[in-house]
Amino acid sequence: MASRLLAAVGAGYACTAAAVALASVALPLAFGMARSEAVVLAAMAGFLLYLMVLVWGFAEPRLARVWVVLVGGVVLCWGLAQWLAPLAAARVVPAG
Amino acid sequence: MRAGFRQSMTRLHTWAGVVIGALLFLIFWMGSLSVFDREVDRWMMPMTRLAPASASGLASLDTTVRPVAEQLAGGASPWTILLPTARVPTLELRYPDGAGEIVRRHVDPASGRLLAAAGSAGGNGFFFPFHYKLHLKAFDLGYWLVGLAGMTMLVLLVSGVIIHRRIFSDFFTFRPARAMPRATLDLHNLSGVLALPFHFVITLSGLIILFAIYFPVAWQTAYAPAGPDARQAFNREAFGTWRRPPAGVPGPLASLDAMLAAAQAQWQGGRPYMVRVWHPGDAASWVEVRRSFADDITMNLDTVYFDGVTGAVLHRHQARPVMRVQRFIAGLHFVQFEHWTLRWLYFLAGLAGCLMIGTGLLFWLEARRARHLRQGVAGVRLVEGLTVGGTAGLIVATLAFLVANRLLPLDLAARPAIEMNVFFAAWGVTFVHAGWRAAHAWREQAWAMAVLATAAVALNGLTTGDHLLRTLAAGNWAVAGVDGVLLLGALVAGGVARHLRRRGAEAPAVGGARAAAGGRG
Repeated sequence: MASRLLAAVGAGYACTAAAVALASVALPLAFGMARSEAVVLAAMAGFLLYLMVLVWGFAEPRLARVWVVLVGGVVLCWGLAQWLAPLAAARVVPAG
Repeated sequence: MRAGFRQSMTRLHTWAGVVIGALLFLIFWMGSLSVFDREVDRWMMPMTRLAPASASGLASLDTTVRPVAEQLAGGASPWTILLPTARVPTLELRYPDGAGEIVRRHVDPASGRLLAAAGSAGGNGFFFPFHYKLHLKAFDLGYWLVGLAGMTMLVLLVSGVIIHRRIFSDFFTFRPARAMPRATLDLHNLSGVLALPFHFVITLSGLIILFAIYFPVAWQTAYAPAGPDARQAFNREAFGTWRRPPAGVPGPLASLDAMLAAAQAQWQGGRPYMVRVWHPGDAASWVEVRRSFADDITMNLDTVYFDGVTGAVLHRHQARPVMRVQRFIAGLHFVQFEHWTLRWLYFLAGLAGCLMIGTGLLFWLEARRARHLRQGVAGVRLVEGLTVGGTAGLIVATLAFLVANRLLPLDLAARPAIEMNVFFAAWGVTFVHAGWRAAHAWREQAWAMAVLATAAVALNGLTTGDHLLRTLAAGNWAVAGVDGVLLLGALVAGGVARHLRRRGAEAPAVGGARAAAGGRG
């Protein structure tokens, strides 16, 4: 039970936060959004993503699968975010 | 698979509810009270019960609040001036004292007279911060606990809907005469389904207001090139926060009234609600004028910045589209627009949330009471103590806070802190009482609610002369409303206490939680 709690709540948050970080640098690159707008949109969507992750994390019968998906998600999203961040910084849309 | 899914959702709903239920009740209770925080302020601060400010023209700041600010705050930065509204008849001045604590003083906008210090945090200074940061300062712990509770609430709503086989037929099902657990569950389902859209929106919007705290990684990543100034850079672009270092040489402050007029011209008639003077008396001082959203859901970010010495416009901000969506969602939650019907509905829906949480906890207790007693397990006893203290006890403490407000002498040093200590002391006593009296505690705390609520109304009449007949005749709806709700709450709590006595002492009834929702302070 402790492992599931840690997976769903802890790893779930880490995975969501990594996805939010990725979106905050990817949205400006993909759609030319201002960075402040990307930050707000990514963070707002993050709450709904976290909600889905939490429900799934408690519903999925195979606990190992929860761990694999969430830790994998953290590594993938965080890696991509770190790779894209310098590219996004190079073409910052000036604030109006 | 499908049965397994429902089973896992039931387990999740049960245990998340039991563990976080009391915290959620606290947040919903304080949030419901915060809907009427300004009205509670008038009740708790009799010196601010002025006739409403005239709707025409703005009060002059240069001749009223400015001399007061110069005298009290001097060069302390910033001065924050809140203009009178339909709900607040005074000009409010806030400034940091020598220790950095924010001082709040009220000024009569008609005469410029400084009103006596309120000596109370009031609804806006106590209930409202309690709602979103629990008065816990270290490491933003209060914010994070509230965020955890908010996410749990969303999980509870989703899992609650999933485990509900008959969501619509249950909507019409309430069997108060049936056995205890069944009747409690009916009331839990009824209040849950009835206010489901409200509960989902109010919880999600509450989280979204604080997005920068809960997902700091978003602005940290996107603004990484700004280094340690990442948050400032984000605030500048998203919220339009503008600043510059003070010059360190004196410079006289230009007319604030002229700046208000210039801001109104920029907004094509929009009215200001707040003026903030940064580094008053410095040659590089600046003045921030924010636009009112009293007639709009969206809490706009239309702010104009003026040079403090020349009065020239330095910067003007307007929210971009996504930020405007965020401000709309925030506005849905903050309910700062002027609409009395909606304000009452927010209040009632918030109390429905309290009822849902309270009955949910009661159902957990009732469904296990007999079994735990048989098996000699302490679970019910422990959860019951926490539930009594966390629901009924919280209401008793709220009422004790109001009674203390009317009994403590106004010239007492550190009076606001003493009021709050009364709240926490009374709350602590209710937990001890709940542990000691077990199931009897419901009835006894319901009586305490009835007595304290009645006493609060009587003391208001005795100490201020503003009894219900007078406030109703004078149209002082803020004070009359608080008194009226207190009396209604006293009646409900008294009725519940009598009902519980009739049912005998063997078990608490659903009424305990009904009082939880009704016995409002």
